[in-house]
Amino acid sequence: MADLLPTPYELEVPDLSLIPDEPPAAILYQHKVKMRTAVRTLWDHREIIYTLAERDFRAQYKQATLGVMWAVLSPVATLVIFVAVFSRVKQFPTQGIPYALYAFVGIMCWNFFASSLGNGGNSLLSNKALLAKTQFPRECFPLETMLVNALNTVISFIPLALLFVIFGRAPALATVWVPLFMLIEVLFAAGLTLAVSSTIIQMRDLQQVLPIIISLGIFVTPVIWPFSFIPTNFHLFGGTHLAHHWVGGITVNLQVVYGLLNPLGPVIASIRQTMLLGQAPSWAPLIAAVVGACGYLFFGYRIFKRFEVNFADIA
Amino acid sequence: MPTLPDGSIRVEHVWKKFRSDKTVPLFYEQMVRLRRSVGTRGKSGYRWVLKDVNFDVQPGESMALIGVNGSGKTTLLKILSQVTFQSAGSCTVQGRIGALLSVTSGLHPDLSGRENVFLYGAVLGMGRADIRRKFDTIVEFAELTDAIDRQVKFYSMGMQMRLGFSIAAFLEPDVLLVDEVLAVGDANFQQKCLQRIGEIVREGTTLLYVSHDLASVEASCDRAVWLSDSMVRAQGPTAEVVTMYRTAVEQHSALLTTKEGTVEVLKAELRATDGGQLRSECEAEVRLTLKAPEEVMAGFYLGISQGTAFPMFVIDHQTTMPAGEFEVVCKLGYLPLPKGHYSLWTAITGHPRGTKDPYLPWQPLLSFEAFGPDRMDPPEGVMALSPVYVGAQWQIH
Repeated sequence: MADLLPTPYELEVPDLSLIPDEPPAAILYQHKVKMRTAVRTLWDHREIIYTLAERDFRAQYKQATLGVMWAVLSPVATLVIFVAVFSRVKQFPTQGIPYALYAFVGIMCWNFFASSLGNGGNSLLSNKALLAKTQFPRECFPLETMLVNALNTVISFIPLALLFVIFGRAPALATVWVPLFMLIEVLFAAGLTLAVSSTIIQMRDLQQVLPIIISLGIFVTPVIWPFSFIPTNFHLFGGTHLAHHWVGGITVNLQVVYGLLNPLGPVIASIRQTMLLGQAPSWAPLIAAVVGACGYLFFGYRIFKRFEVNFADIA
Repeated sequence: MPTLPDGSIRVEHVWKKFRSDKTVPLFYEQMVRLRRSVGTRGKSGYRWVLKDVNFDVQPGESMALIGVNGSGKTTLLKILSQVTFQSAGSCTVQGRIGALLSVTSGLHPDLSGRENVFLYGAVLGMGRADIRRKFDTIVEFAELTDAIDRQVKFYSMGMQMRLGFSIAAFLEPDVLLVDEVLAVGDANFQQKCLQRIGEIVREGTTLLYVSHDLASVEASCDRAVWLSDSMVRAQGPTAEVVTMYRTAVEQHSALLTTKEGTVEVLKAELRATDGGQLRSECEAEVRLTLKAPEEVMAGFYLGISQGTAFPMFVIDHQTTMPAGEFEVVCKLGYLPLPKGHYSLWTAITGHPRGTKDPYLPWQPLLSFEAFGPDRMDPPEGVMALSPVYVGAQWQIH
């Protein structure tokens, strides 16, 4: 029972002259977070992600007269512009698919990616007040922003369905694979968003550069052009074509290389192949995309965890 | 290492550095950083905001962190709540942490009060079902039953604060960290908050409390740690640490009196009229020898404080101030002070709230010990603002 009694407190006045100028090297703090622990902690806090996403989603439409209707209306408006514009401009070969439909699939995927990166990249800065005062895992902010964007993307399936109706088509049976392709995109976007958001805090220059990169990205990614524009066998190191014999050089499947670097390409291509054409996706680039996306996620998360040590100090 | 019981805090040799406040362009700094990371390690621009901080808190204890602005209190709380990380040392908080570092930062202005209860509750670590269960209690405590569906941006500052505090007050963590959040809000609500904090501590939660309001510190904490210049200057029972802190603040504020008056203080003295010790309830007199350049109408002010510029009481007297050297004697019929360390302040002005500079600006003249009974404790959760001693005879029929 003795330890239940209140301990008498002694007044302690430490000798300040004994405190060195610098801490001994032995006790310096090393911020090491095991990936497994980090993921488990994040999972324990998943409710916070939902709640923050709900906050953003609600706040987005709070004082608008039409409210949540806008979530549906704005993609429909994009769609109208699409049909109007793309039925007049020079079109890329689409294997008989109406170009508006063909491009819309690309734009839908791109919008999710671009808004995740754009908003998610800035999410730590825009949540500065919470970042400096509360303690849950910091990944919640970029991931929460992505969740909101995912929700908006799901809503944009409504105008996509309308497009199918307008052009009198039906999505192929292979559409059931689409969620899987979307998952690859989510992994990729999450990895990049985590890396960018944590880097932006350290180096605000990136905040200015990011929109430029994103607006360039739409042309680098097969959003409005077909993925098949990228050659499958490309001769490196001066390989010459002599009567069907390769002399020297190496042949590279550029689609695979592209998929590793930008998993979004094969993702969009695969969605088009399955949903619009009812074909099987080209596996090689798709597998490359999976590997690439996982790599982005792994290293993105590592970078984030490494940088998080001083978020609250410099945000 | 044996694990600590839930609700304990252990801080061992904690150091924290911030980057120094240089104004060089960030680009330059990045280049320097790059060069350093490539080349040899050199000492660079940073400053220590915490140096070798050590303390332990047992489950169920309540501890206060006191110190002037910028002494590192908030940084320490942030490290404890893992909002930020220490640069060296180790710091363990066992159990669920409830950190109330700011009352309103988690509120979203565009959402309604109701939505914010769920948002902020989740942000502070409460589960959804948990919040739903406590929702009515929270709203009632915040006195916002009528306004709960209004957007928070249309709330007054006080209402926002009440909402924020009420959510946090029903967290039920093992360790509650509170940082100077009661500063806003009206007197009634402050009282309610203190009572609620008392209740939380009684339920067995460990409390770490940061405040500049020493009265509330004394009312709610058993122990105190005094941080000064990023180091722990003293720790121990609240009353003793607070006294040391007050003395230091007083010495500091005496140096801060910048304006010179035209009146010179040659001698100042406070003593018991019978020549003995200064005791509670004794008759005392203040004797000041002053020198003034001209004869004017002036108000004389005397005040007694516990170390700060804010006196517990003030006595004033309007009279003609003679020119040259003269003596002022002020008899106090009854010294209403419990045992403790106090200081005597004075000022001489031309007008009570004059537009002219005072002849003698408000400044401490001397400090003294009063002997007698200890200050009586107020009931729990009640702040005694001024430690005034009133002798009383009780009878219960």
